[in-house]
Amino acid sequence: MNATDLINPKEKKSRSVQCKEAMAGYLFIFPTMLGFLIFILGPMLAAIILSCFSWDLLSPQESHFIGLTNFSRFFSDPRAAAVYLNTFFFVICEVGLFISIGLLVAMALNRTFHPIIQYSIKISYFFPYVTSTAVAAVIWSFLFGTDLGAVNYYLGLLGVNKIPWLTSTDWAKVSVIIVDVWKNIGFYSLMFLAGLQNIPAQLYEAANIDGVNGWQRFSKITLPLLSPTVFFLMIIGFINSFQIFDTPYMLTRGGPGDATRSVVMYIYEHGFSFYDMGFASAVGLTLFVIIIILTIIQFHFSKNWVHYR
Amino acid sequence: MSQLQGRRLNPANIISIALIGLGMVVMFAPFVWMFSTSFSTVREAYSLPPRWIPSAFRLDSYQRVIKFIPLYLYMWNSLKITGLITIGQLIFCSAAAYGFARLRFPGRDWWFALLLSSMMIPTQVTIVPIFILMNRLHLYNTHASLILPGLISAFGVFFLRQYFLTIPEELEESARIDGAGPLRIFTRIFIPLSGPSLSALAIITFLYFWNELFRPLIFLSDYNLKTVPLAMVMLQGQYGAGNTAVIMAGASMAVLPVLLVFIVAQRYIVEGIVLTGLKG
Repeated sequence: MNATDLINPKEKKSRSVQCKEAMAGYLFIFPTMLGFLIFILGPMLAAIILSCFSWDLLSPQESHFIGLTNFSRFFSDPRAAAVYLNTFFFVICEVGLFISIGLLVAMALNRTFHPIIQYSIKISYFFPYVTSTAVAAVIWSFLFGTDLGAVNYYLGLLGVNKIPWLTSTDWAKVSVIIVDVWKNIGFYSLMFLAGLQNIPAQLYEAANIDGVNGWQRFSKITLPLLSPTVFFLMIIGFINSFQIFDTPYMLTRGGPGDATRSVVMYIYEHGFSFYDMGFASAVGLTLFVIIIILTIIQFHFSKNWVHYR
Repeated sequence: MSQLQGRRLNPANIISIALIGLGMVVMFAPFVWMFSTSFSTVREAYSLPPRWIPSAFRLDSYQRVIKFIPLYLYMWNSLKITGLITIGQLIFCSAAAYGFARLRFPGRDWWFALLLSSMMIPTQVTIVPIFILMNRLHLYNTHASLILPGLISAFGVFFLRQYFLTIPEELEESARIDGAGPLRIFTRIFIPLSGPSLSALAIITFLYFWNELFRPLIFLSDYNLKTVPLAMVMLQGQYGAGNTAVIMAGASMAVLPVLLVFIVAQRYIVEGIVLTGLKG
């Protein structure tokens, strides 16, 4: 550094300074990028290659190239349709409930002016979110017991017949959704609350002066200004729910039959119970592609309804 | 506050608060039932109506759990794995974030875009090749197999870089004039100024990996290496058909550390998660 550098600080730095900065830059990103190559990019490419192989874990030299056989095997497996339908069902129901209930809770929370009350409600909704899904699902597996579970007992007091929560193929799916929504609703409520509190009060004041009613206030001010948050949470909820594993695994182990088996459970079963690694990789790739395509579609349609300020 | 409903106790407000209160009960009820059942006898656990307050504080079930599995060891395992991953991520992600935010080098933005795109790749796609890799490296059934991949977080880098970009360049300039190199600028300026962001990342990282089930289920088979969520799987397998009280005792012990941390640090946890959500 000499005097001219001080006078013109924004001027191009000397070659050696640039070189040193570049070296520093590479050094700073090196650990992460090395890890990225070893644990993300490498495995991603390996998964693509693996999906075209019949891979024998114990004797890799026995593995052989089988082209797209893994994929055709998957598409002709009736269980494949079942696990995908289950997963779609989970995703649609869960995201729908996350957004609607989360928003309702946030709006109700927003009306609570007493800071201590609002705060304690906030954190109580949040507690299930920080616990492990394993613990939560195990607790609910008992609460959902057909004859001895607490849920059916209280429903019985209201005159409702016993519901076979975990033993009926239809109700088991509902049970998974209930547990997942119960566990995660705190996150969505909190995000919506933050979004609501970001809406400037002046807008509502102006609306009040114009004599706008409640529904109009909601549809013309709240919803449009909240749409980026809604979109963000939709994408997050969608991607997370597509990968659902912990809840159905701990609640029903995928049962009864395959009623609650998700795509990831299917991958887990084939990859780590049957050690059919090529096949599992292939299925994993289908999951990846479907998530990407559906996310792109959502982004495309978001232009129609998401308003950015 | 952006709503102007006024502090009147109008019907809408009352209904809202009532429903919210009901929701609160639903949020807590399963945990209250869990604690209560953990203290009951086997028979009591199955009796109806459900007991919300234990009749006596029996520790039998808890003793059964400890006899069956080394739960304290599992908590230590979880702490070790989660702690190392969290610290590692804080170090590596902040370093990379600084490099991408403030240092200039050829291909910088290209590398960053590549890293960012990996956020779209679900764990389940890479899990099989990583499993094979760990096998080859003889790291299967070790904690390293969980820790090493966990040190990489594209989200962490993205999140911290967003924050670093808001740190004024003048601070750097004056430090540079004083002769400070990138390392000193990083450690003396950027890190100290990033308290909230770093703790937010630490919190969500810690929570995520402490509660993780999928990877430990796959990579850990040794009895002594398991983590807390796996302990629940084991209890379920052993006592699922018969002894609810024991399983609930295990669940209570698993939840207790989280509950304590939550009570002490709830404000930071809540703020941290909202912060990462808003920035992300």
